[in-house]
Amino acid sequence: MKLNIEGLLVYFPYDYIYPEQYSYMLELKRTLDAKGHGVLEMPSGTGKTISLLSLIVAYQRAFPLEVTKLIYCSRTVPEIEKVVEELRKLMEFYTKETGESNNFLALALSSRKNLCIHPEILHANIVVYSYHYLLDPKIADLVSKELAKKSVVVFDEAHNIDNVCIDSMSVNITRRTLDRCQTNVDTLQNTIHKIKETDAAKLREEYRRLVEGLKEANVARETDIYLANPVLPDEILQEAVPGSIRTAEHFVGFMRRFLEYLKSRLRVQHVVQESAPQFLKDIFEKVCIDRKPLRFCAERLQSLLRTLEIADIADFSAVTLISNFATLVSTYSQGFTIIIEPFEDRTPTIANPVLHFSCMDPSIAIKPVFQRFQSVVITSGTLSPLDIYPRILDFRPVTMASFTMTLARTCLCPLIVGRGNDQVALSSKFETREDFAVIRNYGNLLLEMSAIVPDGIVAFFTSYVYMENIVASWYEQGILENIQRNKLIFIETQDAAETSMALEKYQEACENGRGAILLSVARGKVSEGIDFVHHYGRAVIMFGVPYVYTQSRILKARLEYLRDQFQIRENDFLTFDAMRHAAQCVGRAIRGKTDYGLMIFADKRYARADKRGKLPRWIQEHINDGSLNLTVDEAVQLSKHFLRQMAQPFRQEDQLGLSLLTLEQLESEEMLQKITQIAHQT
Amino acid sequence: MDEEPERAKRWEGGYERTWEVLKEDESGSLKATVEEILYQSKRKRVIESHGQVRLGMMRHVYVVIDCSRSMEDQDLKPNRLTSTLKLMEVFVDEYFDQNPISQVGIITTKNKRAEKLTDLAGNPKKHITALKKAVDTVCVGEPSLYNSLNLAIQTLKHMPGHTSREILIILSSLTTCDPANIYELIKTLKSLKVRVSVIGLSAEVRVCTVLTRETGGSYHVILDESHFKELLMLHIKPPPASSSSECSLIRMGFPQHTIASVTDQDAKPSFSMSHLDSSSGPGLSLGGYLCPQCHATYTELPVECKVCGLTLVSAPHLARSFHHLFPLQAFVESPVENLQGDRFCQACQAELKDKSVSG
Repeated sequence: MKLNIEGLLVYFPYDYIYPEQYSYMLELKRTLDAKGHGVLEMPSGTGKTISLLSLIVAYQRAFPLEVTKLIYCSRTVPEIEKVVEELRKLMEFYTKETGESNNFLALALSSRKNLCIHPEILHANIVVYSYHYLLDPKIADLVSKELAKKSVVVFDEAHNIDNVCIDSMSVNITRRTLDRCQTNVDTLQNTIHKIKETDAAKLREEYRRLVEGLKEANVARETDIYLANPVLPDEILQEAVPGSIRTAEHFVGFMRRFLEYLKSRLRVQHVVQESAPQFLKDIFEKVCIDRKPLRFCAERLQSLLRTLEIADIADFSAVTLISNFATLVSTYSQGFTIIIEPFEDRTPTIANPVLHFSCMDPSIAIKPVFQRFQSVVITSGTLSPLDIYPRILDFRPVTMASFTMTLARTCLCPLIVGRGNDQVALSSKFETREDFAVIRNYGNLLLEMSAIVPDGIVAFFTSYVYMENIVASWYEQGILENIQRNKLIFIETQDAAETSMALEKYQEACENGRGAILLSVARGKVSEGIDFVHHYGRAVIMFGVPYVYTQSRILKARLEYLRDQFQIRENDFLTFDAMRHAAQCVGRAIRGKTDYGLMIFADKRYARADKRGKLPRWIQEHINDGSLNLTVDEAVQLSKHFLRQMAQPFRQEDQLGLSLLTLEQLESEEMLQKITQIAHQT
Repeated sequence: MDEEPERAKRWEGGYERTWEVLKEDESGSLKATVEEILYQSKRKRVIESHGQVRLGMMRHVYVVIDCSRSMEDQDLKPNRLTSTLKLMEVFVDEYFDQNPISQVGIITTKNKRAEKLTDLAGNPKKHITALKKAVDTVCVGEPSLYNSLNLAIQTLKHMPGHTSREILIILSSLTTCDPANIYELIKTLKSLKVRVSVIGLSAEVRVCTVLTRETGGSYHVILDESHFKELLMLHIKPPPASSSSECSLIRMGFPQHTIASVTDQDAKPSFSMSHLDSSSGPGLSLGGYLCPQCHATYTELPVECKVCGLTLVSAPHLARSFHHLFPLQAFVESPVENLQGDRFCQACQAELKDKSVSG
């Protein structure tokens, strides 16, 4: 159908539209009009992707000078494929409606085997790829640096974007890394020797270039061709590479010295935590390495690798990592911390020293993106509370909106179970973690649910350790045996192959009527990437509040930083983080309007306003006072009722006019008024 | 729904949140309740059923009753099993009343096994006695869809092609314990043109959705007892015959009822053929229906003659089956704007809210 969105003609490749899709497009258009950034939350399964694509493509056609390119970033390869599929549908619709073959060029970058390096890609109108191509400085430099300024960047499924940013800027160095780096450096030295004998002129040429400095790069940045690389700060571009690392041999020698220093730092018996300036001071005192050459390390290595014409850069990942570390540590005095741990927390007897150079400020990695592109849209099914994202990513959005699902029938049923049948308070908090009464009641909850929920149930625990403890305890109490009478039990483990095997069998059991329970862990693979459509997930049970492991030093450092720099209290951030993961977990069950599912929050703490208020609005609006602090029995009764209601026949006609609209219905005065209420401005 | 669900004692019920049902009704038009949707589909069904379709009038139905552990659940009063068996008695009665030339058999499944409670037969009494006896069954273990379907197929596949082969499953459990891949069996059912319908007592199970969709049956889940009854009664009406089913002429006999008075000295009492195999009941009688072909005596109709295999029916039976083919004309709906006079119900003075009225 053809839509008119505030004067913009939008081709929408379906005959029906959800009201919230229309509303979403409205907000999106306003964002583009204002040339600003936006934060938009809309539940999964309501057609976010197609709304985004239709509107932005229409916008590009209407104002080709305002918006030249759409950069669509998604998380995983299947998601990218889904986007491409929708895009194809849209393009076919365009061809059919306008009668002309379109000259739109879209490009998807998924993996190396599909990688295209044809220069034409620079002119593609739409680019779809993974976050890392834009955020990870190492890859961004290769792929994204020449993208035009007038692009619209969309981050889909962006609820974890801060962690992606942090991961892309953080460096972990182990003994293994250092050993491999040592080998790299040796190879470099040998190659230099060889080249020196055969083609000394080449090295001289490089030297000359380095004396002239990185002027070229500077010119490029000023004339606005490249995306800024956070590893390559502005100051570097204005200066020449310092003399001490200008010749190849000197540089290799320099790297050796730096490597030896790192090795000595890893020989520690106790945990060390220091800031970047402290580290620099120490390195200067011990091995006389100055800050300046360190800062040029990454650039100098790139230059050397180019000069030596080394084809397979992957072999040199270790030395590249170390040189990136050198540059980062000497460039940013704030926002990073260095933690050296002699062993892992779980295995205090095995020496396995790690140097964590950890980024605490996600805005560092994403800053160039916000600065460069005129519109950046962050969107996901779960982005609540919306206002925290601009704060931790340090940007100013022009639109922030949360959309709800309009439903012809209430197809989600969030229940907060706070007590067992014996009135024992259910909670995963530390003090009661070992409490048998709590564990027994959790077991009872799962048992009762396994008897009344058809097909698949997914249960999430807060951590692997917690899950192991509970399952062992259930086994001893005979609860597992009882559950197995109703359903088969599968468990997610840290082994990826084992987990995918379990998942496959789980789906088979759901398919053929035996019924199954999948026990998994919030923040694990299952909770993030896998959808449990329809019968694969009729209920999700969240045992406890999935707080992150708070004893980790990296986390502590980050919390401190957030408090000092962004005035976000530790507790607020921890709760926010726990709730977004809980929302992610329970959101796995509802993947569309014809789907239905129970969402059971089994912890009395969910009933508190500070937790509940941080759930996405589309879940929150279905939690009424009657579904708070229930006992297991009450929850079972409500679930039974809900499941029977949902099992009644439900056809598309029942949705029409309420949650699914034709063009005429959409254009009615009454509906337009309703639509404006869907978006929840914050 | 037009009638209030009947329940025994309020205090026997589980937690019920009657106030919430009320709240849902009142809330804005956005939240159309499930009841509303149900009501709409019911109306639609009534209107749609008036096309001239060929119906499978001679039906062979196997009813599979789940007797697994979950039948002990007390959400139907006094428990699911008793309630189901009660309704089944009504069903059997009504079924033979409306489909006099059809047959029914009953299968129970529990403990991963399936057993025949009664064979396919056209005599309601036998079924009802069996159902009454079954109340004392102990409900244990899991049901097995595969085994029940397989057992039903064994008999149904020998039924002539012009009859409609149906299986109706009343499933309480949410799990099934199968010895082999049920999807293979579904293919077999499809090729044999067996229509499988399911009435779920708890919730929607995926495998049943597929089973009914593939075989062309219906799948419903009950809300409460009255809804259960309503769903069960839906299966009384003969289903449309599949276009590919054979049609053939069937020989039928219309035996005359003869009664010899006790005073008549010539009258000789004879055994009813239908009682030969069962030990119960009075076998000896003076009169009865005599098969026009071989003169075997029967006390009841309809029946298939034990001697010559002729289908014996009475004319009223056929006439009763006939009314399914020519149902009453549907009411013509007209929009409410065209309604002259006031828009209030004459009986209860409630305002008419429907978008259209019948006239």
